[in-house]
Amino acid sequence: MATHIAPLRKLWALHVLDGNDIHLSLKELYEKLSNGKSGCYWELFEVYKHLRSLGYVVGRHGIPWSVKGQHIKSGTCSLEGSQESNEMLEMEPKDENSVIELFNNMQITDVSPAFNVYLPNSKFRKSSPGDPSFVLYISRCSPPSRVEIEALERKHGAIPFKFCHVENGRVSFFSFAKTELPVLP
Amino acid sequence: MMPRWKGKGLQAKANADPMSKIVSQLQSSLIQFETRGLLSSCSVLVEVDAELADLLNRSCFGRPRITAQEDKQWFQLDMEEAFYLCFSLKCLKVIGEDGSIKSNEELWDYFKSKKLVFPVSYKVYSHLRHKNWVVRSGLQYGVDFVAYRHHPALVHSEYAVLALSEGDNDLNGRLRVWSDVHCTVRLCGSVAKTLLTVIVNSNNQGANSPSCLEHYTVEQRTITRWNPERSREDQTGPKNGTKKSTKHNDLAGTVKDKV
Repeated sequence: MATHIAPLRKLWALHVLDGNDIHLSLKELYEKLSNGKSGCYWELFEVYKHLRSLGYVVGRHGIPWSVKGQHIKSGTCSLEGSQESNEMLEMEPKDENSVIELFNNMQITDVSPAFNVYLPNSKFRKSSPGDPSFVLYISRCSPPSRVEIEALERKHGAIPFKFCHVENGRVSFFSFAKTELPVLP
Repeated sequence: MMPRWKGKGLQAKANADPMSKIVSQLQSSLIQFETRGLLSSCSVLVEVDAELADLLNRSCFGRPRITAQEDKQWFQLDMEEAFYLCFSLKCLKVIGEDGSIKSNEELWDYFKSKKLVFPVSYKVYSHLRHKNWVVRSGLQYGVDFVAYRHHPALVHSEYAVLALSEGDNDLNGRLRVWSDVHCTVRLCGSVAKTLLTVIVNSNNQGANSPSCLEHYTVEQRTITRWNPERSREDQTGPKNGTKKSTKHNDLAGTVKDKV
């Protein structure tokens, strides 16, 4: 897939509107991301961008999807990828206005998941998204402890979850799966 | 990760010669010959005849030492191996400096004095051995153990094992920071092993005597790196592998290092 990545990244574009329908420049966008309430919007943005540019469907955990249409409406943010379908996927969190607002009040904690993620070819439908392929937590300081992971397993049941670590522009994903080595003959 | 057998027919050979049977034969023979080990720093040395040497080799306990002696061989056992034979299989007795046989409690104290985390590492060792996995030192891979499905001559090890603890015996400092997770997962991947953490909880039993061990609980977890570039298709789709390493998609490593 190496040959497909470059075109995706070139064509991928972020159109961001603030509350007044004014197009934000990249600089303004970056400034806003850096000034986030808990200072963590940058990491959220990196992860979101990373997965979206690869074609994954990423939603904010706990926020319902809504079907919009083809327009860029005031108060929405849209991220276009250059997938074959050229689908414009819009997300409208309940009361938000821009991609900043998308992450508004989001704090990166190890107890509250950041995103629901769906595989790119999973026939995703906004009207009935179904269970995500996995739930994504963004780790801040340290890897999760066994106790924390067990709590999350109880919380999410059959839906897998992953931890994402962002540092130095590098986005890495890890799974911590319970296992039991079989008894051998 | 599927087991990687080292040649055609070796899986069948392993199936025909189950490890549990080999270990059981070793146990009987050691008892029959009333084998005694010599405590020496962090090892136990045993002198054995050809039959026992063969069983030790086939069951992967200890390492043979090269000597000029012809009729007997010397084997060097690690602390966990020695204690397993003494305490779990009850087929070996160990003699100390003064020539007297050490009790299990004395051995336990002695090994703990040499290795603070011995209770945890022993619990992990014995847990895997009880399931008939072959367990060897993982030092060369930066982990505690490596686990094989059968003899290393027949199969590559699948798991790189870290013995971790929680509770009142929290002495292990591994995987507390993300850089260590990155490092360990990457190294394991480059030698085609899955990182397996075995977390021991002492349940506040302490570590005063080996009888505490039966109250310890054990949980196993694998830690794997997920690469979003490779997993974009649903399971039924074709695999999209990429060898290109970009800043965002550095693979854990699929190239085997020569070790």
